[in-house]
Amino acid sequence: MEKVLAKKSFPQWVKTLSSYKIFAPIEKEDLWSYELIEKPEQINLDYLNTVLSPKKIIFPQREVYLEFFASNEEGIEVKELLPDEKPSVIFGVRPCDAKALTLTDKVFGGDFEDLYYWNRRKQTALVGLSCSTPPSPNCFCLTVDGSPFSKDGLDVLMTDLGDKYFVETLTKKGEQLVNSAKTLFKAPTEKDKKNLAKIQQDAKKKITRQVENIKKVPPQLKEMFDSPLWDEESMSCIQCGICTYLCPTCHCFDINDEIDSSSPLKGKRIRTWDNCQFPDFTMHSSGHNPRPDKASRLRQRIMHKFQYFVELYKNYQCTGCGRCISQCPVGIDIIEVLDKVSDYGA
Amino acid sequence: MVNLEDLKKEAKAVLKDEKVKYVIGYEKSSNGLMPAPAFIKKPEDVEKLIWDPTCIHNLTRFLTDEKQKKAREKQPDERPVGIIVKGCDSRALVVLLQEKFINREDVYIIGVSCESAGVVDEKKLSKKLKDKKIENIEFDEKDNIIVTTKDGKTKIPASEILAERCLECRANFPVIYDVLLGEKTKRQPENPFQSVEKIESLSEQERWDFWKEQLSKCIRCYACRSVCPMCYCDECVVDTINFAVTADTTAEEKAQKIKWLEKSPVLSENFVYHFIRAIHLAGRCIDCGECERVCPLDIPIRFLNKKLEKDAKELFDYDSGFDPDQPSLISSFRDEDPEDFIR
Repeated sequence: MEKVLAKKSFPQWVKTLSSYKIFAPIEKEDLWSYELIEKPEQINLDYLNTVLSPKKIIFPQREVYLEFFASNEEGIEVKELLPDEKPSVIFGVRPCDAKALTLTDKVFGGDFEDLYYWNRRKQTALVGLSCSTPPSPNCFCLTVDGSPFSKDGLDVLMTDLGDKYFVETLTKKGEQLVNSAKTLFKAPTEKDKKNLAKIQQDAKKKITRQVENIKKVPPQLKEMFDSPLWDEESMSCIQCGICTYLCPTCHCFDINDEIDSSSPLKGKRIRTWDNCQFPDFTMHSSGHNPRPDKASRLRQRIMHKFQYFVELYKNYQCTGCGRCISQCPVGIDIIEVLDKVSDYGA
Repeated sequence: MVNLEDLKKEAKAVLKDEKVKYVIGYEKSSNGLMPAPAFIKKPEDVEKLIWDPTCIHNLTRFLTDEKQKKAREKQPDERPVGIIVKGCDSRALVVLLQEKFINREDVYIIGVSCESAGVVDEKKLSKKLKDKKIENIEFDEKDNIIVTTKDGKTKIPASEILAERCLECRANFPVIYDVLLGEKTKRQPENPFQSVEKIESLSEQERWDFWKEQLSKCIRCYACRSVCPMCYCDECVVDTINFAVTADTTAEEKAQKIKWLEKSPVLSENFVYHFIRAIHLAGRCIDCGECERVCPLDIPIRFLNKKLEKDAKELFDYDSGFDPDQPSLISSFRDEDPEDFIR
């Protein structure tokens, strides 16, 4: 279903969605982040991209699995705490970040569904905003089978046409959102459609960064486990967790018990994001560390995204958002690393 | 401003004579306005080196990796590492020497004076440039920074884009070096603690609200810890596991690792993390500002360190990183030190 919505009507549309929790990008001191919105007027869609992707709403950095406490009759009682969310809408999702959720879907889905993830995922509608201008100079979605107006994972895709949005409804969830304010949406004119096509065509040309030979990367990597390249490329790595924590597709987590009181026993079992760049990632209690240095940790990040994941799920585990490149404090650039991988030994 | 060709010449000479394993310097990066650390191993590769007001990183942080790597090697190369340091970075070297984390013969120090200038803040610069790429950037004689982009030259007063710590710098030329490039131009800041005094002037409630808001943003990526040249401990209280564990460590010993803070990025734990980090740098931090620069959430962490630096100065008349033979702040006391209970 294709519609247009006047920009000035956008807050009215959001108002009709009062039964939903609304998330949207908000700016504070030059920093953009997805936050819970109280008034539609707070939403400003003139943003580039947020520091953290909307992954943080569906798969929060901290999730309480269960509570446990000593009880007189039962010994220790355990109470499962599944998220019971009311329907949510996230506005202004960039296509790369929406696609990223289709990848985490694979990880948390399959034979064993992770209910903590899916209870939120199923209740959340994603309203995308296509990228007429690349949100970052390091965008490279075209390389990893994405595009600035990709519909993957989205329920609605909006494109900025100047004074109005071109609104494409992509799923049932999306239809419900648009139908809640039917009168605000108009049928697009031929001119609107032409406009959209032109914007989409131009948007692709504005993306300047790409991996030259991405197709060669997965087979090359298979032969490169012991390559000296990892040593060279990781020399400047400081072993912080920026690249992975900001990544919209990274999904590793850790589970810890947090004790509020030891007598009587009371505590919570908590899942938090984990990070393959940290020295303690998957370290064994024997003292053995399967990835003892930064070279093996960089290798893990690249291998997981461009070899293991490709083998398992037939997709790169990267959507080209460019966050890890822009935010790396020492200029490690995944595009450059992948270019070197594809050329390696040639 | 120090001439790049002179810098290349120095680096080339020590590499050619095989006096050093490699030289740590700066090279152009592909990801944005700022350069990347460069590890130059061959004399001909010195051509990659750059030197301009974007060379912000404190490269002494990489000496920790070098030391760890050396410990793992069976027959380590005992030659020193060549390292390019600015005034602030050289103070970090002094602290590492004072704490005996490194030995003087482990490093060949190529000191570069900032003279009357400093390095630029990426965020301030990118606002001025509006995402245009830098072709050249340099200081002129009159405290301006001249940036050349595809649209030509722009003159920006240095004070508008210099990094905050450069505006409060107390060491604009290296305090320790094997070779020094540039002049020892003395430049005293009006007040080296002006930024933290702004925070101090707030009421207790305002300060609490400020830090509550700032530290609630923290995602505990530990970039502030990881980039810090002083955060070299094998065993860090924030890690979930003890790196000093070996195959012989007993279960009891492992269980004795105290959990000072939880992994949950909630306000209470974030406070604990940032306070531990800051306190561990009391009398050690030399204000290179790297912790604040690398924070992806723009948390003004430098204020915490700056406050401790100010306390060390005011209470104990202590300045870190100027004299490798001076005892460290927390391992020494003088009769006139405050806190009567110590005596």
